[in-house]
Amino acid sequence: MNIRPLLPLLALALLSSAALAQPAPAPPAANQAIDVASGAWEGIVNIDVSMLFPDYREPWNAGQPSGGSGTGFLIGKNRFLTNAHVVSNATRILIRTTNDPEPHPAKIIHIAHDCDLAIIEAEDGKHFDKLKPLDFGGIPQLNTEVIAIGYPIGGDRISVTRGVVSRIDFRPYSHTSVDSHLAIQVDAAINPGNSGGPVMQEGKVVGVAFQGFSGRVAQNVGYMIPVPVIKRFLKDVEDGRYDHYVDLAASDFPIENPAQAKALGISGDGVGVMVADVEPAGSVGELLKIGDVILSIDDNPVMNNGLVRFEGELMDMNEIVERKFAGDTIKLKYMREGKKLEATVTLKRFDPYVRLGAQYNQRPRYIVHAGLVFQPLDRNLMDAHQMRDDTVNYIFDNFLTDKLYVERPEPVVLTNVLPDEVNTWLTPYAHSIVDEINGVKIKSLKDVKTALEKQDKPFLEIRLLEKNRPLVLKRELAAAAHKRIMQTYNIQADSYLGDE
Amino acid sequence: MKFIPLFLLAVSATALQAQTSAPEAPRTKSKPIPVLRSTAQLESVVQNSSLVKVNATSQPYNLHLPWQKESPSGRRGLGVVLADNRVLVTGQMAADATYIELELPESGQKIPAKVVAVDYEANLALLESAPSDKQKAFFAGLKPMAVDASARIGDAVSILQTGRVGEIIESPLRIGKVLTRRYNVEGSGFLVYEANGIIRSEANSFTLPVVKGSKLAGLLLSYDSKNQVTTILPAPIIEHFLKDVADGKYEGFPGLGMELQSTQDEQFRDYLGLKPNAPGVLISTVMKGGSAEKAGMKKGDILISINGFTIDSRGDYKDPQFGALSSSHLVRGRAYVGDKVEIKVVREGKEVTLNGQLARRNPDDYLVLPYQFDKGPRYVLMGGLLFQELSRPYLDAFGEEQRSGAILRLTRIATHPDKYEEEGRKKLVFLSMVLPTPSAQGYDKLGGQVVNKVNGKAINDLNDLAEAFKNAKDSWHVIELDEFPHILYLDSFSAERDNMRLLDGAYRIGSLKRLE
Repeated sequence: MNIRPLLPLLALALLSSAALAQPAPAPPAANQAIDVASGAWEGIVNIDVSMLFPDYREPWNAGQPSGGSGTGFLIGKNRFLTNAHVVSNATRILIRTTNDPEPHPAKIIHIAHDCDLAIIEAEDGKHFDKLKPLDFGGIPQLNTEVIAIGYPIGGDRISVTRGVVSRIDFRPYSHTSVDSHLAIQVDAAINPGNSGGPVMQEGKVVGVAFQGFSGRVAQNVGYMIPVPVIKRFLKDVEDGRYDHYVDLAASDFPIENPAQAKALGISGDGVGVMVADVEPAGSVGELLKIGDVILSIDDNPVMNNGLVRFEGELMDMNEIVERKFAGDTIKLKYMREGKKLEATVTLKRFDPYVRLGAQYNQRPRYIVHAGLVFQPLDRNLMDAHQMRDDTVNYIFDNFLTDKLYVERPEPVVLTNVLPDEVNTWLTPYAHSIVDEINGVKIKSLKDVKTALEKQDKPFLEIRLLEKNRPLVLKRELAAAAHKRIMQTYNIQADSYLGDE
Repeated sequence: MKFIPLFLLAVSATALQAQTSAPEAPRTKSKPIPVLRSTAQLESVVQNSSLVKVNATSQPYNLHLPWQKESPSGRRGLGVVLADNRVLVTGQMAADATYIELELPESGQKIPAKVVAVDYEANLALLESAPSDKQKAFFAGLKPMAVDASARIGDAVSILQTGRVGEIIESPLRIGKVLTRRYNVEGSGFLVYEANGIIRSEANSFTLPVVKGSKLAGLLLSYDSKNQVTTILPAPIIEHFLKDVADGKYEGFPGLGMELQSTQDEQFRDYLGLKPNAPGVLISTVMKGGSAEKAGMKKGDILISINGFTIDSRGDYKDPQFGALSSSHLVRGRAYVGDKVEIKVVREGKEVTLNGQLARRNPDDYLVLPYQFDKGPRYVLMGGLLFQELSRPYLDAFGEEQRSGAILRLTRIATHPDKYEEEGRKKLVFLSMVLPTPSAQGYDKLGGQVVNKVNGKAINDLNDLAEAFKNAKDSWHVIELDEFPHILYLDSFSAERDNMRLLDGAYRIGSLKRLE
């Protein structure tokens, strides 16, 4: 088993000549020196994880065992905060403190992939009872000093690196690759293994180190999850479960063009951003239309580039929505055809986008029938299979932009045809989107099961999207071959449809 | 299967010096394949007075900046002299040609030539020189070569090349297979001879004749030096082309306009109700306005014969000369535009005879132009916004790597144009690029969006667009796109002002549109 230090986006060169050429940083102030033996940092723990990467090519297999290590820190009685990506797909989690070699088995209590945070607890928490949890600070100011503490590559003991806050911005979170939240960029070295560790200022946690760039892309760029995102997560799980982020599910387009401003009836004060796309299934699906102009969110004026001034910083207007929870409301002022309107919107989660991002802690779902393998289309599937088919790529790429989820919430792909006498003419049709089976429109993997159970015709008839002939199998031949194929290809179960 | 046009690397220094300008690789994506000298013992030197060197300069338009042309490049070939002092070359020699000349291999005497007829799908062109004393003298020593369409599988043929001083170098080949395949532009398959043997590289060439005895058996299409497989554009297609040219009105090669699916899969046969050894293939697509549709063919029919030839479960017929061959050749190679055709299909268990007349679908009849040569791409430039009509060459220029974003969307439209054709679109107009102007401020990162309406008018081609821009309702144009950001506004007055600045400005734009 190989140990892979965890930090997405990263493959950092550990020591480069450029780094050596830089002037040595000023030595830390004496009052900040830490005696590790004192136990002051005992609450900052190493998390050693064994994991199983699901196999989306052979979905009936358990997957590839692997391992990794990251950092976590105590935030309450036997409660450790870390990154979701540190403990994703974990089969075993062990916690170690810097002064005590004994591993403590732990388990996940809450995990939020969309903001890359998780809470774990030791199965026997007694050992940690006397430790003092770390306190949270606020959003640190630009150019103020921070330290990152954790267990990055380069040694086994706890490590400290120092830097300043470089930038506060709305950034993509690479764990799912589809979520963006507030993130703070620091120039303290953040390396694989730092993930989940605290970034501190004046003794308080101001962020959780979580991602960076490979040294080939950019230098000294590390990111931490800031306190507002952490607090939101902690508040969300107070009721015992994580409800995910809510979203406006609308895209905005800046109003920079003079004719555009005139046509939309914008005055010259720089307020208002154009609505350029609206998801019908999203929070504002019923309210906003393309060409509307959003003027303010909860009375914060929205500038023509979509930013608001919020808590003293310029931030994406979505940050206001980000802080809220499912069922909360926002007040929206907008303009349609020159008329100013106002509405209160109840926020909800927008589900269809989840499919476009990486998903974790999930067993791949599938159905095998007579050697034909059906799987739901999502990023995990796209990443595992090298899909060359234009239709599959188009459906995935435009799932939201062309609102394809409305007709087909869970597109099903014929991913493989396991060769056998019964299906030998069908092998070229692998990597196709399934449109209909036995007259049943396929909107999700469950529909495949329902359709295959229909026994009213002597033929099994599968229609594929944008392919020029139906695939047909004689029922009795398919049934006979099914058992044989399951045996030959070593498939234990012919379907996994998820937890019902 | 990969298709490799012949592009032989010159190996000798003299050959390199002889070139006037750097040769350009054919527009397909394949690497030139050098051929080794060591094969020289296979050739013998002969004389042939029916061959002339053809030097063409090709200069295509820039597909992304359509007011510009690319840099010119030279193409060389060995043309075949036919009756009436006309010279046959591949269509590639005539493509985007700015200047073509003929050269006598031995003396090096040169004379300008022009294109009499060209068919880019059949990859054939016929050249001639304007009558003059010089022309008379040029052709005095040349005699026309006859075309011989009698070659069969197993026959020996030779590829002819010329050496440095005009000597003819012959490489013997043997025809191993006859099949149908697409030539060098998007479209349907044509007859091809596949031959085996080694061809030695003498110089880069876009046309090399293939002879059987002393008669023309075809023109070289491609040579795969690794497998020593040559594909040949065969004499039957050349004869078809010449016969079509001879009547003064070139009509091209006809097609039925349908797609078929083989019925070898036994379970599929049962499903379709086909008896075990019954002939026929499933018709899966019948194109709108095509010969098949006009004859009454329907999707789901089982095609069993064309002009009396039975079609088997692969879609092949038994050709008296070549054996099993794709049924497409029955129409494309063996028949002419305007010919009557008799098609037998099985529909709902009953045999139905369909009678029709063959037609050809012009490239311009497609929503997405399959190819374009000689003419510049159509475009409209308005205030820095560049609008174009989608074409295959435009998409191909992006290469295979582009699997997402706008190019994926546009490529899919090119392969599945039905929905857009049903909307009444003749061409697919899209915003291809935005030049930075004051009136296009904020739009400079856009590109690849399909245009639906401008100033309320549906846009079915660029002429519609140019017309629609004349009718701004307010002081701005409203451009509706098929995707994000869906609506663009453009000040009509400042767009005109920017148009004037673009003309002969930093971007050296000579004209704001090309609609011919």
